[in-house]
Amino acid sequence: MTESLRNTRKFASDVEQCMKCGFCSYFCPVYREEKDEKGLARGKNQLIRFLLKGEQALTAGFYQAIDNCLLCKTCVQYCPAKTRIDHAIVAARGDFAAEKGLPFSKSIVFRHILPRRGLFGLALRIASWFQFLLPRGEGRFRHLPQFLTALGAGRAVPEVAPRFLRQMLPERNAPRGRPLYRVGFFSGCATEYMFPEVGRMIVDVLTALDCEVVFDRRQGCCGAPVFLSGDLETGKKMAMRNIAAFDGCDYIVTGCATCSSGLSEYPVYLADTGEEKGRLETFSAKVRDFNEFVIDVLQADAGRFELRPEFRGKTVTWHDPCHLLRHQQVAAQPRKILNALDGLRFVEMPDADRCCGLGGSFSITHYDVSKRIADHKVAGFVVSGADAVVTACPGCMIQLRDALSRHGKAAEVLHIGELFRIRDDGSPRGDETRA
Amino acid sequence: MVAQEIIRRLSGIVGKDNVRASEEDRRVYSYDGTSTWMHMPDLVVFPTETAHVEAVLKVANEAKIPVTPRGGGTNVSGGSVPIRGGIALVMTKMNRILGIDPGNLSATVQAGVVLMDLQKALAAKNLFFPPDPQSFLGATMGGIISENAGGPVCLKYGVTKQYILGIKAVLPTGRTIQFGGITLKNVVGYDLVSLLTGSEGTLAVITEAVLRLMPMPPARKTIIALFDDLPRSGETVSAILDAGTVPAKIELLDNWVVRNINRITGMGLPEEAAAMLMFECDGAEEMVAHDSEKVIGVCRAMGATGVIIAKDAQQAQAYWKARSAGFAAVFSAAPTVLAEDVTVPRTRMAEFIRRVTDICKRADLEVTVIGHAGDGNLHPSVMTDQRDPAHFERAKRAIDEIIEAAIEFGGVLSGEHGIGLEKQKFMRRTQDPTFIEIMKQIKRIFDPNGILNPGKIWED
Repeated sequence: MTESLRNTRKFASDVEQCMKCGFCSYFCPVYREEKDEKGLARGKNQLIRFLLKGEQALTAGFYQAIDNCLLCKTCVQYCPAKTRIDHAIVAARGDFAAEKGLPFSKSIVFRHILPRRGLFGLALRIASWFQFLLPRGEGRFRHLPQFLTALGAGRAVPEVAPRFLRQMLPERNAPRGRPLYRVGFFSGCATEYMFPEVGRMIVDVLTALDCEVVFDRRQGCCGAPVFLSGDLETGKKMAMRNIAAFDGCDYIVTGCATCSSGLSEYPVYLADTGEEKGRLETFSAKVRDFNEFVIDVLQADAGRFELRPEFRGKTVTWHDPCHLLRHQQVAAQPRKILNALDGLRFVEMPDADRCCGLGGSFSITHYDVSKRIADHKVAGFVVSGADAVVTACPGCMIQLRDALSRHGKAAEVLHIGELFRIRDDGSPRGDETRA
Repeated sequence: MVAQEIIRRLSGIVGKDNVRASEEDRRVYSYDGTSTWMHMPDLVVFPTETAHVEAVLKVANEAKIPVTPRGGGTNVSGGSVPIRGGIALVMTKMNRILGIDPGNLSATVQAGVVLMDLQKALAAKNLFFPPDPQSFLGATMGGIISENAGGPVCLKYGVTKQYILGIKAVLPTGRTIQFGGITLKNVVGYDLVSLLTGSEGTLAVITEAVLRLMPMPPARKTIIALFDDLPRSGETVSAILDAGTVPAKIELLDNWVVRNINRITGMGLPEEAAAMLMFECDGAEEMVAHDSEKVIGVCRAMGATGVIIAKDAQQAQAYWKARSAGFAAVFSAAPTVLAEDVTVPRTRMAEFIRRVTDICKRADLEVTVIGHAGDGNLHPSVMTDQRDPAHFERAKRAIDEIIEAAIEFGGVLSGEHGIGLEKQKFMRRTQDPTFIEIMKQIKRIFDPNGILNPGKIWED
């Protein structure tokens, strides 16, 4: 074997942790659909063990196995031996990408388009002009431009917003009162281009809770879709660019669960030296999900959460994004917010913590299985009897909208940031006024 | 290697996607839950209906290709490892619950149904399938029947063989046959349902089964008793049974296991005692109250240094979850762990535990005892490291002595894991040669060409 396996070797002891009990088979969403050990954590772990022993090569079959994972971490959550197979899978993807190269469709988007925010926006904008040429999806959804569908099977995704967030939101957003923290707002691609209103509302909540919010234009994609797929080199460039953009902030807050988990995982995958690791850790330690930030850091008075009038009388349920629940252990905070909103009825759905099946590019490369996993989510939603499903990850929102519309459900899919605003508490305002 | 022609024929039966020959596909069906047994099949085949199993076995029998049936691959005997290569017949895609019949307290399932999925479906109808192998999250019904699996509640409810009413299976020659039925009573000829149960996939491929169910007990209570002497906890088990009480579960954890459960789960079980017994009483409310009182009384009389009663269902669940982390605790504590599955009569348990401790002390080995004390099924586990030949040799010798001790005390080689490959080498030494000969003859009747799960149970 000539491969150096530089990345995978870092996690060799994690791989040794697995005792092959097979308990992961009950929890792995992919295995539950396919019933094939090759898609299971235990199977992948075994393949990686043999890779490290020099008895398994970086073959196409090997890549197919390690690519067939949502990185939902449900297996990690329940593993009795606490095996971090997620780390080993990403690292093995990294070694595969470094030594064999990624499939063409992934590499073109990861290397050339996602890292350039302007180009990504332009590509989407141009494509959006031609959206009318493509078949209409259910309701207000349309098929996204060829440029995205070139990656795989087409699906109903939200249309590109008429104005992007950077055209709506100033770079500096003053706090209502005396500034508590200087917060960098990390929008993430989906919020920037598809759900800019959500981004604006989140920033409004933060400023009303006395945060000075900086929306630095130098920020780009968090890099998670890129480095979790194995392109660690491009991922690192993206990370360094984001770190520079948020220099001087007390916290970096985002409404995208994938982004906050991605930003927090920089030190796990992207550091090559101790010095780099330290730098990435300092940055990652400041990253917070919006829910966690409002409840745990700001400890906002729940009495000030005011339901936006258009949601009065609605019954909603909560979907736990994997990237929040399992990557960041955030589950109680959004429920606290939902329970505090007068005029809203919050009910739990069965298996709220079950993965929606998106898994980033997994949903493009494995659309069929992805859809089947999402069908379980729809079934749980139907049992809950809710009018809308609320979550905090634009990725999950895209998947849930696609799944609900495929099943002909008129239900809304909302970001928690859209639901509420902050009541004025009558305290003295800061000397700067809002623009 | 399997000829292209065979692959083509098999693909014609189950579909191209359900026949796999790549190295990666073969690799992931080369192992089970044991740490050392591994062998790659030449082909992996996924049937999705009984007719597929029939047709696949016909082809294999004709070409004399070994076939090893496999479910969730959670077994810990090497039983589902395709040690002679050939076909790994993976039953996981036959995973439909065909019917639940509350009026007959029965359910019909395909072999690939996972026990936990079945329990969830049964719970919705207030029923349960009592046998509770601790691999319930991954174990499939076909495997559970083939291994005659048991778990903690076997003390009160018995093991799998008491809960199988009927079996649909395909003989290695490709003929489907139905054994048993749906009735509780059935004395029509030889009991071949029982013969197939625990046959470790060597006689026929089970594709469906009719299961006997029980109504969900309305009340449960979990009690923990602490002892400052390990064998003393063993004596307490028979004292409780002698007092006329049969709890659903009595589990034994020694101090080593308790500390390691705490280490990996952060559970905070009491660490001061030498041993801990965990009980679960179930049944009607009054019965549970009566049984728990008796259990507590006997534990105190036997010198328990402390008794803890779970205050609610949630706490009880947390204790049992910690218990099920016991094996993870054991297996993650050393590079190699030799875990035994011996079972001794309950009245000899204290003596046996003393002997195990002595054997390991003399050999300077770290040992821990965790097990289903209620039925005398203990899993003494010796910590070693395969990479250190001298130490590993010492550990293997200690295991031999432990097994000999169990048999000397009137016990058996394996209580619930099965023989497979793991315990094979002890068979000749511990069993009557005629018993092994009868098994071989039975095998020949079912499987004249010896294609089904060859190389298991007895050494050739």
